[in-house]
Amino acid sequence: MGLLSIYFKPNFLGLLKCLNNLNWFIVFFSLINLSVCIYEDQIGKFDWRQTYVGRIKYSQFDTVSTAKKIIVATEENVLAALNLKTGQVVWRHVFESASAGNIQLLHVSDKVVTVTGSNPYLVRGWDSSTGVLIWEWSLTLQNDDQADFSEWWVQNNMLVHMLPMFGSHIEVSMYHLMTGQNRGATAKLPASWTNDGCVLAPPYYTCVSGEMKSQQLLSLDVTSNAVQLISRPLAEFVDLNSYDGSLRPVDGNSGLPAFIVDDKRIVMIKHNEFEVLKTAVFDPTGSVTLLDIANGPVVLQAWLDDTQGFSIQANSVSGAELPELRMADRDLKLPDPEISSAVCTKSAREQLVCRILVTGGDDSVHLMQQGGRVLWSREEALANVVAVEFVELPVSDLDAAIESEFDQKEAAKMYSSIWAAFSRRLQTQFQQLQTLVNSVQGEGAAQHQPLALVRDYFGLHKLIVLITDVGKIFGMDNLSGAILWQYYEPSLDTEGAVVFTRRTARHPPHDAYITIVGKHEETGNGLIISLNPITGTLIGERLLKLDVQLLQCTILHRPDNEKLHALILLDKDENVQVFPQSAAPLVENMFMYVADRSTARVQGYAIVYNGQSAIAVRTWLVRLGGGSQRIVLVQGKSATERVHSPGRVLPDRAVLYKYLNPNLVLVLTEGPDPLHKDVVVATCLDAASGAIVASQIHRRARALPLAVHSENYLAYLYYNDKHRRTEIATMELYEGKQRWTQAGAAFSSLATERAPGVERQAFIVPAAPAAAALTATERSLTDKHVLLALTSGAIVEVPWIYLEARRGGISEEGVVLPAYAPELPLPGDARLNYNLTVARPERIYAAPSGLESTSLVLTTGLDLFYTRVAPSKTFDVLKDDFDYYLITIVLAGLILATYSTKYFASRKMLKLAWK
Amino acid sequence: MSQVKSNKKFKWALDFNQKTRTQTTELPSPPGYSQSTNASYTETSRDTDSNLLLIKKLWDVALGPLKQVPMNLFIMYMAGNSISIFPIMMVGMLIVRPVKALFATQSTFKMVEGTQATGQKFVYFIGNIVNILLALYKCQSMGLLPTHSSDWLAFEEPQTRVEHIGGGLSLI
Repeated sequence: MGLLSIYFKPNFLGLLKCLNNLNWFIVFFSLINLSVCIYEDQIGKFDWRQTYVGRIKYSQFDTVSTAKKIIVATEENVLAALNLKTGQVVWRHVFESASAGNIQLLHVSDKVVTVTGSNPYLVRGWDSSTGVLIWEWSLTLQNDDQADFSEWWVQNNMLVHMLPMFGSHIEVSMYHLMTGQNRGATAKLPASWTNDGCVLAPPYYTCVSGEMKSQQLLSLDVTSNAVQLISRPLAEFVDLNSYDGSLRPVDGNSGLPAFIVDDKRIVMIKHNEFEVLKTAVFDPTGSVTLLDIANGPVVLQAWLDDTQGFSIQANSVSGAELPELRMADRDLKLPDPEISSAVCTKSAREQLVCRILVTGGDDSVHLMQQGGRVLWSREEALANVVAVEFVELPVSDLDAAIESEFDQKEAAKMYSSIWAAFSRRLQTQFQQLQTLVNSVQGEGAAQHQPLALVRDYFGLHKLIVLITDVGKIFGMDNLSGAILWQYYEPSLDTEGAVVFTRRTARHPPHDAYITIVGKHEETGNGLIISLNPITGTLIGERLLKLDVQLLQCTILHRPDNEKLHALILLDKDENVQVFPQSAAPLVENMFMYVADRSTARVQGYAIVYNGQSAIAVRTWLVRLGGGSQRIVLVQGKSATERVHSPGRVLPDRAVLYKYLNPNLVLVLTEGPDPLHKDVVVATCLDAASGAIVASQIHRRARALPLAVHSENYLAYLYYNDKHRRTEIATMELYEGKQRWTQAGAAFSSLATERAPGVERQAFIVPAAPAAAALTATERSLTDKHVLLALTSGAIVEVPWIYLEARRGGISEEGVVLPAYAPELPLPGDARLNYNLTVARPERIYAAPSGLESTSLVLTTGLDLFYTRVAPSKTFDVLKDDFDYYLITIVLAGLILATYSTKYFASRKMLKLAWK
Repeated sequence: MSQVKSNKKFKWALDFNQKTRTQTTELPSPPGYSQSTNASYTETSRDTDSNLLLIKKLWDVALGPLKQVPMNLFIMYMAGNSISIFPIMMVGMLIVRPVKALFATQSTFKMVEGTQATGQKFVYFIGNIVNILLALYKCQSMGLLPTHSSDWLAFEEPQTRVEHIGGGLSLI
């Protein structure tokens, strides 16, 4: 026995070792099969994230802690700390987007204090260096109606809450900042002179009150124990004849009580007396702030001058100008500048060192120092992107020359003889050689230069045009995320704005052309901006202000002689305008539909050219839901969509033909129901004929404005009220096993009489999606995946096969579809943005790249996140970690081996022959 | 006595004790060699059916493909219908071999010109065709033949459209 164990022991151990190895292999291979996410060394290689905070509402320099920061609170309900040197976000807290997250007060001392919400209020203290929450207490006001007029400030480590009751009194309460302990009862100060035009310059509350022409300027220190009302006739400050009754507080947060009367005079309250400063307001639209520097208060003003550009000037209280703070920058076009905060210190050499944070009307933020140098800028408009268009880049000049050389028409025009063509050929060849030499020489030097704006071989380099809520349009490089150009149109209202690529950069003598159709801020009339997306300059129709409101717009499917797709506008009076007008005869087989959100009424039009101009003819009208419903979303198919496969192959090798109606539109409506509380109705509408192709209803549900629609399938999300969860419903439309028309025939909605078969399914989404999109590729050969942006900040890729409506149907032999499972799997490795959380995602945009396997994805919201996805893996390019060296060495070795064996073989043959 | 012995000696026995020196000049035949049998064999083979044998041999060749059919059937049965490397290789062989053989018919039957040449060729041809049909049947049962419309789906022209639409929610 002993002998036996000795004999077997080493073998047994060997077996164990072997098993252990095998185990590792199993783990290793299972990883390869499952994971679709990127490797650690690929982080940031294909993707980038930009974090934004939104338009700045309050800001304050944090001069106390060692790492210098600016603490900002924004309109987007974000509290953040920005690095003073670089402008990057050090830490950030994103509050609720509704009024519950509204920031009412920002106070920075050694701690950061915020008051957020609107009755109940939350008072919170944050550590300024890390952003960690230190303490929190809540406050609920009894009087809810007037709570909106509340004013908050911090004084002597006490939080002061002031609630004016216009025309009667002011309620002032003080709380201990850290604990929320109330200091005594609420003080009620009688103030019958208050009205809604009053301003607060802590701790003074100032109003203009009294009869016309005899107004009094009244001010009250609301925190002092003794009520001391300062009252002076207004006529002492301004000319009453031109006075329009405006008081406004100064910008910034200097802590000095001051305000501006009639956009002309700056009045400071000192020792309970009004003191009119000698410096007048330079520009009524400019920004005025007070700064407390060593020599005493300084008035700082910033405005946009027509001739001098952006200007800043500082005057002391006595009126003397401080020349070191004077600046004018002609190139900086900062509309409606506002000094958000400023800080000045005296350096060792008795020089003023100032930092001024300026916010523009275009939501951009600039940190300036004395002398006018801009230290950094942030484009906070990008926190509110409303529309995105991916634009192809033009080919390089050389490629364009070659293309034009081989273009038949062009060539016939240019070269009369063979010799001209030959010389041209030689010329281009020489140019090619030159660029080759240049590229070889400049390999090392060109590393740090930004990529030229030319199309790359795989078409992965594109330009993203982003239209923001504030009316600023950006051109962004998709590989680096760098802003290439910006265009600000203050009168553009981008609500419901649409972008059209009317000409791509593929037609060399002509520039690329995009058009943004929006509304005018004040009148609501149509506003059309046409841009060259590569340079950001106006082109073609330029800035066109229409004198009528627009119902809808689209582009013509057929380009004109200049390869430009005409813009068709349908206005409120159902007139049609075509831009350019010369393209009107091209209008043919064109239909439009207009859905009214509140009445759920969809009107169809045929756009017809009658010999002189294009006109709209009403063709059909659908009232969805009989008046009680409202439209949540209308989702058509992409106009440029291609469908690769006309059918699906079944396990028995028959074909289930898809119902590929390009005119199909999904309309999602919701409305109350007497029996089921709320119902959601999804209707598939043929927008050319007005026929209802399919519909389905969800009871006790509320619609979400999220849907995807492509080929023959669609999916939309709704909130199930009964089970309190989000669900996704999918529909697939099929013609059946027999096709209706011949292969390659044109589909006509007006000639189709048959109804498609509909497959339906619904799945539970174990998350709260905020945006949904489908990946897009050029030829639709690749699978389509649904991209869901979740409120948790993740962007998840869900293969369509999981959403397949045929999933879980009658099981056939050899079915490849997974069995029906009610819950949609959202595995962690399907997350595109690994640990880069995207705050408050709103929309996802996907665009095809030049590579069939790859789709480019941009998520907008508070943050921007760009990446690329390959739904069917990258089958058309070598892997990222492909070992070029190894294959070169192997190839060289093989060639060497071949030749050496050839030599040796011939020698051997010779020897054999001599034997 | 010795004479008798020598007369009576066995075919495989070798006598080293030969007394008579007279026979030494003439070497004995090697063991196992028989003059008579050899002579008689050549006699019969030369004369009777050199032609018949060739025909017989050629019939063997001609019937070869048909004889392979049961074997092929067995191979096909064993290979199964799954699509993997070995069944595919087998099916490939099943198809390629008879096709090759068909092309080589002329060279196979080069040496014969006779009454039965046409018949032999015909049988050979039929046999190979049977083998090809068998292989095709195998392909069919494995689903390798593009006989369904689904097999041609990827080559179809994409559908075009007549009407073009635009629109959406009212911008007002």
